[in-house]
Amino acid sequence: MISKNLTAASTKPIILGILRQGSSYGYLIIKKIKELSGGKMEWSDGMLYPVLHRLEKEELIRSEWVMAENSRPRKYYHITEAGKRELNYEHEQWSQVNSILNEVWGIKPSR
Amino acid sequence: MFDLEKNINDWIRQFRKHRAFNTGAIREMELHLRDHVDDLINEGLSEQQAFEKAITEFGSITPMAKEAYWSQRPKSRNNSIINTTMLKNYFKIAVRNFAKHKFYTFVNVMGLTMGLAIVFLIGLFVNDELSFDKFHVNKDHLYRVVENQYYAGQPVFPVAVTPTALAPSLVEEYPEIVNATRGSYNNYRFKNGDQTIFERGGIMVDEAFFDMFSFPLISGTTEDFKENLNALVLTKELADKYFPNKDALGQSIRLEDEEFDIVAVMEDVPKNSHLPFKYLVNFEKFLSDNPRAATSWGSNSLYTYVQLAESADFDAINAKIEGQIKKNNESSVVDLYLQPLPEIYLGEVDFTVEAPRKGEQMYVNVFSIVAVFILIISCINFMNLSTARSAKRAKEVGLRKTIGAKRSQLIFQFLSESVLLSMLAITLSIGLVALLLPSFNQLTDKEFYFMELINSDSIISIAIGILVVALATGLFAGSYPALFLSSIKPVLTLKTQSISIKQGAGLRKVLVVFQFIISLVLIIGTITIYQQLKFIQSADLGYNKENIIYTSAPSSQSKVLASELRNDANVINVGLSNRHPAYVMSSSSGFAWPGQNPDETILIHFMGIDENYMATMEMEMLDGREFLAGDTSVVIINEKAKEIMGLDEPVGVTMDAYGDRRIVGVVKDFNFKSIHTTIEPIIIFKLDQMSQVYVKYQDGQEAEIVSSMENAWNKVFPDRDFSYTFLQNDFDDLYSAEERTSKLSTYFAVLAIIISCLGLFGLVSYAMEQRMKEIGIRKALGASINSLFGLLTKDFAKLILIAMILSIPLGWYTMDKWLEGFAYRVDLSWWIFALTGFAGFAITLLTVSYQSIRASQRNPVRALRHE
Repeated sequence: MISKNLTAASTKPIILGILRQGSSYGYLIIKKIKELSGGKMEWSDGMLYPVLHRLEKEELIRSEWVMAENSRPRKYYHITEAGKRELNYEHEQWSQVNSILNEVWGIKPSR
Repeated sequence: MFDLEKNINDWIRQFRKHRAFNTGAIREMELHLRDHVDDLINEGLSEQQAFEKAITEFGSITPMAKEAYWSQRPKSRNNSIINTTMLKNYFKIAVRNFAKHKFYTFVNVMGLTMGLAIVFLIGLFVNDELSFDKFHVNKDHLYRVVENQYYAGQPVFPVAVTPTALAPSLVEEYPEIVNATRGSYNNYRFKNGDQTIFERGGIMVDEAFFDMFSFPLISGTTEDFKENLNALVLTKELADKYFPNKDALGQSIRLEDEEFDIVAVMEDVPKNSHLPFKYLVNFEKFLSDNPRAATSWGSNSLYTYVQLAESADFDAINAKIEGQIKKNNESSVVDLYLQPLPEIYLGEVDFTVEAPRKGEQMYVNVFSIVAVFILIISCINFMNLSTARSAKRAKEVGLRKTIGAKRSQLIFQFLSESVLLSMLAITLSIGLVALLLPSFNQLTDKEFYFMELINSDSIISIAIGILVVALATGLFAGSYPALFLSSIKPVLTLKTQSISIKQGAGLRKVLVVFQFIISLVLIIGTITIYQQLKFIQSADLGYNKENIIYTSAPSSQSKVLASELRNDANVINVGLSNRHPAYVMSSSSGFAWPGQNPDETILIHFMGIDENYMATMEMEMLDGREFLAGDTSVVIINEKAKEIMGLDEPVGVTMDAYGDRRIVGVVKDFNFKSIHTTIEPIIIFKLDQMSQVYVKYQDGQEAEIVSSMENAWNKVFPDRDFSYTFLQNDFDDLYSAEERTSKLSTYFAVLAIIISCLGLFGLVSYAMEQRMKEIGIRKALGASINSLFGLLTKDFAKLILIAMILSIPLGWYTMDKWLEGFAYRVDLSWWIFALTGFAGFAITLLTVSYQSIRASQRNPVRALRHE
């Protein structure tokens, strides 16, 4: 199980990453995250929404309501150009952390 | 049985407790839950299991709300009443609304514009009236010494002029009085080359005048004014007139037959000085020519002004100086008191020999009240139209509320809308004021100039004043619509077609009635003032002022001029007098007659005429005869004098009036002062040498008589300038204040009724719009145009009727109070009220009819086809 802090820190790149694949709405995004994590990240579904709204406010994503004849209305989120840039930046950061950690794992215990 | 819908709804309700979630967010989460539940049911769970699993996975709401709250916190500032994003939206919606309802916006803005323009104009007027004499630095310590004279059997006789010896004695005896000056109007003939010009506006003053009053000098000094008997101070106007293109300072000029030295040039006297003048002459000059005057305590001829020490106790000094004249003149019946300088212009007391510029507190009050009333009328229009139209805005309010607008925000929105409109109206009204100023100046005899107002030092306070008025008007006018609209329940507005305009209709009716009461009272006032004015102008003065022209000639030769004039075909009669027939201010208590009570002091006016004067003025004798050519030592008294002297058979009685004189006749009472005052006793002497020549001429020969007189004048006085006055013009001047009030109140009343009707027009057209369908159905069912017209007009006619009934007693009371100021007054006749009622009713009916006829003539198909 991934810790709460780590989950919280990684939410932003995960959401942005999912949205880069294509626009989606809240429920589907959650589903996707659950699929990806294979249940290893503990998420309460509801916590997604404040994050989505914050990202929207930061203009990394934007949203629109889509009304369809034969299904429920859905609020679709799309990634913006700023969101893509942000995702790249996050990608770099996590990669750096990752490579540092890789080095760290390679260090032999002294003596 | 598990009810999924109910459980979902209950779950959603929990979100509403948290202000972090807006309607959109809650909806989003509801949809999330439903999707999840559907998926779980598809996986084979029961509804209840699916629901429970879904909400468990969703997590608890409170921490989520906190998270959402924190992430949205900066946005929470947007929940305050004022925020820029919403302001933009308010503005946009307001402008769209104005554009969509051009007619109502026009009516609204026009009404407010007219109202505000009037308020600004009156504000200028009132402000100017209140500013009199306030420009003097020492204004708080300057006083005029005035008199109350007491005579048996007569009311207190207030007099503004005082004896020559008073001013010096006050400074000498009372240390609290630091300065005193006399001021005595005295006009001189200025010699300019071969020209002689009679310059009005000269005052003889003491040197202290310059220290006490703040009339700034442009050049020169008044240091040696007292010592230089022939010192002369000119205002810029006269300096420029007599010394164009050069410096007047140090020059000399001939006044009468003496050289005067121009020791200083001063700024022109501001319009708001009660004491206007064009040049100042040394009072010592007068004293050196009339040495006995310096110690005179008997005759009151000049204004005395004093300056008190800053620490002086006003009441104590007032008590000390009260008997100053009696102390020096045993037979005096005069008490003195101090009148503060800034209170002279609008003073309530009607002094005899008042300064040339005198205002009326009453007019200031009346106009201020009228301004407030007109503003109220325009505001009522605004309120009425806005609330009536609120039905159209109700949907918007409902929607805004649903999306989460708070009541305070809505109130703010509508108030800012009305402030926006009032700002627009203010801008327009300032333009209107600029346009109207010239006519307003003419009407009020003031001098306001738009550019001067803009450039003046007071522009900032004017601007602030305007802003305050705009804000106050906007807030006041918008208050009711704002409160009313914001209180609408959103469900009502969104569910039904439109909310009923019946809401607020009661208040609207009251406001309309109130509006029309004000308008009708103004109309009643206008008609009464007009009536009174006509009454005064056509009142029997006791003589005929028509077709009389007069001039002033050297008294030694006025008779020569008179006989020269009698040769002219246009001349009917020529009479001489030493007093203007409507301005006899000279009076004495020194007369004696047989049977007089020796303890009583009775003040009797006097004037002098020749044997032709009474015939010229068409005065009527009640007893005895007019003067004859050879009469000496004779007098004529008026009815009032006969009464107060207690003489039953006055003709033949010898009385002591500057020597023994026989009464030869009793003349019918005539008005020798303003018609504001009652007729007082007067003794008429027969004199030999008098300066005023009164000429009665043939009707309609104005131009001819002027040239005839000029010819005669040039024959008798070849080296003097000829000037003349038509007596009628003096009366026009005398009653110019009333004339002004009459004209102004006419304009105000007309404007008030226009503004009221404008509002009514808007209201009626709105009501018609609302009832379009009803009218259509009625017509389709066979109602005649007449019956429809009756139906539509009835409601409004009722309101006007109520206003009429209420306005009559109010108008009667107000005007009765106003008329109390006149000694001779018109009766308030019933037809004034009937006429007002009829006129008001006719005008409103016209307003209403236009709309209701239009509505009732419309093709019903057009009204009904929408359904």
